[in-house]
Amino acid sequence: MAIDFYWRLPTHGDHATIRRGSLDRGDWSPLAPGNQTPGLTADGEEDGYRYIDHLAEIAKAAEISGFIGGLIPSFPTTDDPWVISPLLARETKSFRFMIAFQPGFLNPVQAARLSASLQRATGGRTVFNIITGGGGPSQLWWGDSFSHDDRYGRTSEFLDVFKGVWKDPGFTYDGRFYSVRNGGLAPLLGAEDIPEIWFSGSSDAALQSAARHADYYLSWLEPYDQLQDKFARVKERTAQLGGEQKCAIRVDLVARPTEEEAWRDIRIGFENVTDETRARWRGQPTDSVGAARQAALRPTEAKRWDELVVGKNLWGGFNLLRGGPALGIVGSYEQCAEQLDELIRRGADAFILAGTPHLEEAYRVGEEVLPLLGRAATAGLLQAAE
Amino acid sequence: MTIKAYWRLDPTAEPGRAEPSAWAETLARNVRPISINRFDHYAQIARAAALTGFDGLFIQHRSDGDDSQIIAAAVARSAPKLGLVPEFPASVGSAVYAAKQAVTFQRAVHDRLGWAIAPDGDADARAAIADPVLEADLRARTEEFLHVARGVHGSQPFDFQGRFFEVKGGGFEQPLAGAAFPRVFLRGEQEDSLALSARHADVHLFALQPVEALRAKIEDLDRLALAAGRNVEFGISATLAARETAEDLQHTPAADIAGTYDLVAAQLAELAAAGIGHFVLSASPSLEETYRVGQFVLPRLRAHQPTLRAAA
Ligand SMILES: Cc1cc2nc3c(=O)[nH]c(=O)nc-3n(C[C@H](O)[C@H](O)[C@H](O)COP(=O)(O)O)c2cc1C
Repeated sequence: MAIDFYWRLPTHGDHATIRRGSLDRGDWSPLAPGNQTPGLTADGEEDGYRYIDHLAEIAKAAEISGFIGGLIPSFPTTDDPWVISPLLARETKSFRFMIAFQPGFLNPVQAARLSASLQRATGGRTVFNIITGGGGPSQLWWGDSFSHDDRYGRTSEFLDVFKGVWKDPGFTYDGRFYSVRNGGLAPLLGAEDIPEIWFSGSSDAALQSAARHADYYLSWLEPYDQLQDKFARVKERTAQLGGEQKCAIRVDLVARPTEEEAWRDIRIGFENVTDETRARWRGQPTDSVGAARQAALRPTEAKRWDELVVGKNLWGGFNLLRGGPALGIVGSYEQCAEQLDELIRRGADAFILAGTPHLEEAYRVGEEVLPLLGRAATAGLLQAAE
Repeated sequence: MTIKAYWRLDPTAEPGRAEPSAWAETLARNVRPISINRFDHYAQIARAAALTGFDGLFIQHRSDGDDSQIIAAAVARSAPKLGLVPEFPASVGSAVYAAKQAVTFQRAVHDRLGWAIAPDGDADARAAIADPVLEADLRARTEEFLHVARGVHGSQPFDFQGRFFEVKGGGFEQPLAGAAFPRVFLRGEQEDSLALSARHADVHLFALQPVEALRAKIEDLDRLALAAGRNVEFGISATLAARETAEDLQHTPAADIAGTYDLVAAQLAELAAAGIGHFVLSASPSLEETYRVGQFVLPRLRAHQPTLRAAA
């Protein structure tokens, strides 16, 4: 069975190396010599490029090196995936745009029209990562005052309406959050495929909503036994409803020719982490169950990089080196491939990978790691056959 | 004032054009990929407008067609200097989210975005799009939408508790805070539309009407805007039928302004003299007429400008 591998578009800047957070790409740090896209000319003027030009390079790199598409995250400080995707539609051929979005922020019928139009603009390359919000001050920043479980209720109804108007030209719906009378997309739009739905959230409310609507249930990497257990539960729950749930993992890799080189980059990266970065990641208020699980690793309190080695080729301090979850994979190309194989064995049907810097690492992981997948299993089978 | 000319794209016009479903059965060998569709055609119209001297592309809101904001973004990088004005109603969703999307758009395209707020549909149309807002509240919702979008865009922290939108600690941090807010285009002929524009529009678009009536409305809106401490510019939207000779005109469809190139340009110049600075023009078929109007009418209109300035 083929596995879908996605990459990631960094929508709040990128670092030029995993070793140092200060060498940046993008204007989230002050424009200065050495920072790129946008950058400065020799005269100190802005060079006319914009961050989107860098994202276009990454999307093309992912496309060229064998990724099916990329996740485009959405947070208060990021650029927006609904705009990035159509902007890059005509410059890419097969790259699928996985748009992270909170259903509460768009009218569901408008979202269906937007999506069908984007399908037409991209030749069917739209995918959704439905997120339901981490709560806390950030939720009110977005203008959303709903409680955690109400947000999931709204997400479920949103997806009912979204799919309903797409498939049924005389769609009527009477819910707690939305009602529709005689809705439906125009035939030209309704003829498009509904985008694949990836769904994240680790709480019980999330799992319930996922079972009803998700093509893929998406999780950050968690300790393997815990993750295997979660995937098994999600698959079980969907099976009870008569469906089949696929599961996916979003994880960063530091893949190098040798394991030693990989850990060396982690060590240098860890030694360059500033107190300011630690303070930023310490105790951000959230009602996200998934985020709490990542924070439970307590990377901000570690004194040495190797305190955060939580398993073979597993490191729990990635959030110190770049924005995002804590747990990631570190090792030689072969070891990284083995870890991915192991995760497939434990129930993963797809992946969203990433590495810093996103452009060069898309090529590296695409060229060096993806071709090694399944080798261990094949070798084992051959041995058994002998 | 320099005249700004926009070509108006109707996503539902000429529906068979560039759509694989409308390809004819013919002897001619067909090697077109089925991925070709109207988005390729939209990009051509955008480039046509850019190449023939238009300042912007105004993309109409059509609930039964491709979405204007997706079209705007999809063509933006093919026409690197063209202004883009997608039209959409205030029912699209969260005002904060709309502002956030505008920020990315502006950052990526060097501040070329405008927003045209479309009038809301009737009760049945609103029920079909899951819009719960009642008729009597529509204008208030549009007003809040623009107030909140501008609010989060302009200041931090922005707090607001209204009837339709609520925000706490809103507003963008650097580098998202640096982008220009999109130019807001509103329309409507009634007193309450003018009052809303006085508070929120950068450009108010009128329907084509006799110059005297237009002058009176411009004066009204000028006065209201002055009272609100703001400056509003004026525009019209009109369909054109422009031809080289009067005889050619006999074969054209009806239009708001019909005549030879010279006559159409003179009529637009008269509007310009009355205070109209923004011209949202359209004709069918869109691509061919973009070239025609851009090549034959706009230069004649702009040639009137020295006299316009002298008259002002
Ligand atoms: C792989 C993955 C990607 C996510 N991406 C985003 C994102 O881009 N923006 C966001 O606001 N939340 C994102 N989230 C957060 C979740 O979707 C969800 O809002 C949060 O985990 C709260 O739900 P919970 O309590 O059910 O875990 C992501 C979560 C996962 C697992």
